[in-house]
Amino acid sequence: MRAPHPDDFTSRLRSPAVAARVGLWLGISFALCFLTGLVSHWAQLPSPAVPFPTGPAWGYRATQGLHVVSGCAAVPLLLVKLWAVYPRLFERVDVRAGRRAALVGLERASIGVLVASAVFQLATGLANSAQWYPWREFSFRTAHYALAWVAIGALVLHVAVKLPVIRAALGADVDDTTLDRPSARAPGAVSRRALLRGTWAAAGVAVLATAGGTVPWLRKVSVLAVRTGEGPGGVPINKTAAAAGVLDSAVDPGWALDVRVDGAVAARLTLADLRALPQHTVDLPIACVEGWSAQGRWSGVRVRDVLTAAGAAGGTDVVVASLQERGPFTRTVLPAAFADDERSLLALDLAGEPLDLDHGYPCRVIATNRPGVLQTKWVASLEVTT
Amino acid sequence: MSRRPDVARGLLGGLGVALGAYGAWLALTRQDTGQLVEIAVWLAAGVLMHDVVIAGVVLAAAALGRRFLPGPWRAPATLALVVWGGVTLMAVPVLGRFGARADNPTLLDRPYLGAWAALTVAAVLVVAVGGLVRARRGAGA
Repeated sequence: MRAPHPDDFTSRLRSPAVAARVGLWLGISFALCFLTGLVSHWAQLPSPAVPFPTGPAWGYRATQGLHVVSGCAAVPLLLVKLWAVYPRLFERVDVRAGRRAALVGLERASIGVLVASAVFQLATGLANSAQWYPWREFSFRTAHYALAWVAIGALVLHVAVKLPVIRAALGADVDDTTLDRPSARAPGAVSRRALLRGTWAAAGVAVLATAGGTVPWLRKVSVLAVRTGEGPGGVPINKTAAAAGVLDSAVDPGWALDVRVDGAVAARLTLADLRALPQHTVDLPIACVEGWSAQGRWSGVRVRDVLTAAGAAGGTDVVVASLQERGPFTRTVLPAAFADDERSLLALDLAGEPLDLDHGYPCRVIATNRPGVLQTKWVASLEVTT
Repeated sequence: MSRRPDVARGLLGGLGVALGAYGAWLALTRQDTGQLVEIAVWLAAGVLMHDVVIAGVVLAAAALGRRFLPGPWRAPATLALVVWGGVTLMAVPVLGRFGARADNPTLLDRPYLGAWAALTVAAVLVVAVGGLVRARRGAGA
């Protein structure tokens, strides 16, 4: 048996005309994923050099929803793109060609990096969005962030290398044969136009089947979304009280919120104390890194009012500690701009009912334009350093 | 050809290399050896998964189609495979419900297999009806 050769692939569908057109949309979806991913990374930095904005309230909901949906659309696009260029995998490099062979080898290595990182990003991202963690060692957040730079870098390099072909292919009719391999002349089962339409349809179905996780009016259509959007108070749950290990501590009648200023407890507020403070209601979404989001009507006390009651002045970051004892988000930073925003609450109620235990009873943070993992549940203390 | 486009391409390529190198540096400095080995295994497995497994299955499906499917059914079958295959692969994490947790009924709470079965039935119907229409048209012509 011999190794396959590009000439073994004779379909005229496997052409630069198809690859460039699908590649354009694949590039757009990867660019969207990259930029929205940077926003998400920025939002999760504890103390970014440039503060993350507190508005619009729906900002993170939109960017992270777009992140996951464009990743979903990229799956069929990547498959068809790779199918169109698959014969090139078997091109021989003539090692006697010296410097030119070295360049060809480098270019092919960069394609290897691009394919490997692109598949890695889509596979880990999709798994993570369904809370499936089939890896043991690496940190999803760190690896997905680092490989995002690798993937976008390899993509930019690929576009630079292929620019003349891309321009020629996009500038010519889809059935033009100038750029085709001479061996790729056999008519396919469908026309190039039909294959492209099928590809757009696949990406469209992928979007419709998942976007309802964050677009309310698509909820019924999105049969493959990771959630229906149902849950106590109309809001789904990411981590339950049982999973967080707070089943006992959260319902402890002795619970009280500690407000520490410069390390000393400046105020201790029981649930009754919090209910005695002025109550406010806000309509804000929970928007998770997994791409789903849901709007809730939250009532409780303003974070600012609680800090003021403890004698803490504004303009400082607030460390929010959860009753949850383990995990990366047991202590989060509520940046000064969020802590002082009048829409930032320590919520006690959702949809007019006391918070469900799984939503963070006795109280949780709810603020504008933030990833759900930072809307700390089962709050134990607020800490301010002046 | 003018040299200006070549300079622009060179700069774009250099930008790509710089972005990629930053990503590699991020991975190398923020993950320990064991984590990096696992990332490398995943990267290699992803390439093999496509270049060997998925590409192999598609080539086999195309060969079977050419062997057994009458002409009028090939076009709808190709398009159905593109849509059904792409969406199915995307849906693997929810179809398997690998992340489901007994304590959280709000997670992965849709009838995914039913939805996927409906997608599959729709694809089969498109192939059957599309092929019949094309066969009739071909016979009538």
